[in-house]
Amino acid sequence: MTAVLPGATAPRRRPVTRVARLAVRQGLAEQRTFWRSAEYALFTFALPVALLLLIGSTTAGGFLPHTHVKAQMIFVPSMMAFGVVVAAYVNLGTKLATLRHDGVLKRIRTTPIPAGAYLSGVLGSTAATTAAITAATGALGWLAFGAVPRVAGIGELAGGLALGAACFGSLGLVLSTLARSAESASPIANASYLPLAIMSGIFDPAFSVPHWLSVIVGLFPVRPLAQILQQGYTPVQHVPLEDPVVLAAWTVAGVFLAVWRFRWT
Amino acid sequence: MTVLETRPAPETPETPATPSAPAAIEVRDLTMSYGDRSVLTGVTFEVRRGEVFCLLGPNGAGKTTTVEILEGFRRRSGGTVRVLGMDPGAQPAVLRERLGIVLQECGFPRQAKVAELIGMWRDYYPSPRPVDELLSVVELHSHRDVQVRKLSGGQRRRLDLALALAGDPDLVFLDEPTTGFDPESRRRCWAAIENLRALGKTIVLTTHYLDEAERLADRLALLRDGEIRVCGPVREVARQAGVPTTITFTYPQRIIPALPAPGCLSLRVEDGVATCRVKNAATALRELFTWASACRLGDLEDLSVTHPTLEDAYLQLVSGGAGQ
Ligand SMILES: Nc1ncnc2c1ncn2[C@@H]1O[C@H](COP(=O)(O)OP(=O)(O)O)[C@@H](O)[C@H]1O
Ligand SMILES: [Mg+2]
Repeated sequence: MTAVLPGATAPRRRPVTRVARLAVRQGLAEQRTFWRSAEYALFTFALPVALLLLIGSTTAGGFLPHTHVKAQMIFVPSMMAFGVVVAAYVNLGTKLATLRHDGVLKRIRTTPIPAGAYLSGVLGSTAATTAAITAATGALGWLAFGAVPRVAGIGELAGGLALGAACFGSLGLVLSTLARSAESASPIANASYLPLAIMSGIFDPAFSVPHWLSVIVGLFPVRPLAQILQQGYTPVQHVPLEDPVVLAAWTVAGVFLAVWRFRWT
Repeated sequence: MTVLETRPAPETPETPATPSAPAAIEVRDLTMSYGDRSVLTGVTFEVRRGEVFCLLGPNGAGKTTTVEILEGFRRRSGGTVRVLGMDPGAQPAVLRERLGIVLQECGFPRQAKVAELIGMWRDYYPSPRPVDELLSVVELHSHRDVQVRKLSGGQRRRLDLALALAGDPDLVFLDEPTTGFDPESRRRCWAAIENLRALGKTIVLTTHYLDEAERLADRLALLRDGEIRVCGPVREVARQAGVPTTITFTYPQRIIPALPAPGCLSLRVEDGVATCRVKNAATALRELFTWASACRLGDLEDLSVTHPTLEDAYLQLVSGGAGQ
């Protein structure tokens, strides 16, 4: 069929509406393809969930040393923080590095979709995945270990998740620009967050490190996120103001670096 | 705010673009260096609206570099470039609304399905073409619900084309659309490109296949080592390149040594067939007939005049010049 149809000259939408609409559609499309690739979605969920069940069944039974705090009230929110890191940082970073390496980003760049609309869509989809993973972690933590957030801590939980997703999402964007190839993105991601996660006591609520190391770890965003989420479960540790500040600072730095370094090719 | 140009009425493929129409692309003295390695030197050409223009040249000639500068993906080192009246170096979004780009190599979101992906691409443009029409142009109707990762190489290339057409572009870039394809895939891809031409699109095509250029192009530029060796309508390129026309005839048995053929014909005889290669066939034929009648040779038997082909020009300018 080679007939020329009159091009529908739809009136142009106002830019902001158009960007928002494109972002939403992009986000939906990303979600659709994420869930369609079953093994990818499965393993994204499997890591935090499997660790939750495996480690949780051995360590979450008792109380933290010298306290009356049940270990699972610390461990379950820690694993939620871990889920945020995996979904927003590792997955987003490696996914974008792969898209860039495969030339998908370059192909997107051949079209007039505004960069902001495309990236908002991708980030929105990442936020949805992050929410799903933390919800699954929370639900399993409740079913398997009886860890339930306290009502008064819902604000900390929701705020922490939002700030954490923003922070690690922006760092995921930075990660994708650091990786020279799709293959190197995953090792870089793992090497950067795993040591921090261990030092932050994510996998072991009773884990302790020397004071100087603890100070250093506190400057990186993993433990601050975990501590804010822990506050949502048990009020034992007061949330120092520095935790949200550290997260916010990393978010700002991440956004600046990502905007500065982002490349389509 | 740009008012989109209404598409020109469909032209029949053979209609040559009117030279007076404003050019779709103007390139003047384009230079490009990667580091201190210069890969384009003084490239100058023009693409007229509605024509299929081909950049023909061997690997490494600078074809991709040239088109990616025109597409706004690479920053040129020098020269002026105008694409639909705009400077692609400034990356105007308005320009991208009017371009359809098939990159030399470019991946897909692999889990996406064919029609779904086309649907997404249509969203990006202000006045997209209908999905069914896009699927028809590239003959992918029966694959609309297939995931991209399950398509063959040729089918993916045609999907590339469908995506490039989604926004109903005025100008389409195709960087080596059929490289590495089996004959059947090439034929289908060619058919799709011919469909495009029938839609009245201006098409810039790069290739290193002579037959592809010969079949699809209205005009072409032959690029080698970052330089345009010759540029013009496909039929004229060989003549412009100075490739001789070949005249052959059966050499008469009873030739009188005292009356040799005029030297200007540089006649060579081999196995009873005389061959001469000449710049100007008409002049040479006149000389030949004058000589033949002076020698009373009568009609020259099996006389044939073979115009130089694109292949001859290519061999002379690219392969020959490379010292192969
Ligand atoms: N990004 C780049 N950096 C350095 N050199 C490049 C780059 N892209 C292409 N080249 C070089 O420029 C020359 C022309 O390349 P290219 O435009 O890809 O040629 P073609 O598309 O005709 O095969 C080649 O010698 C190639 O090695
Ligand atoms: Mg090339």
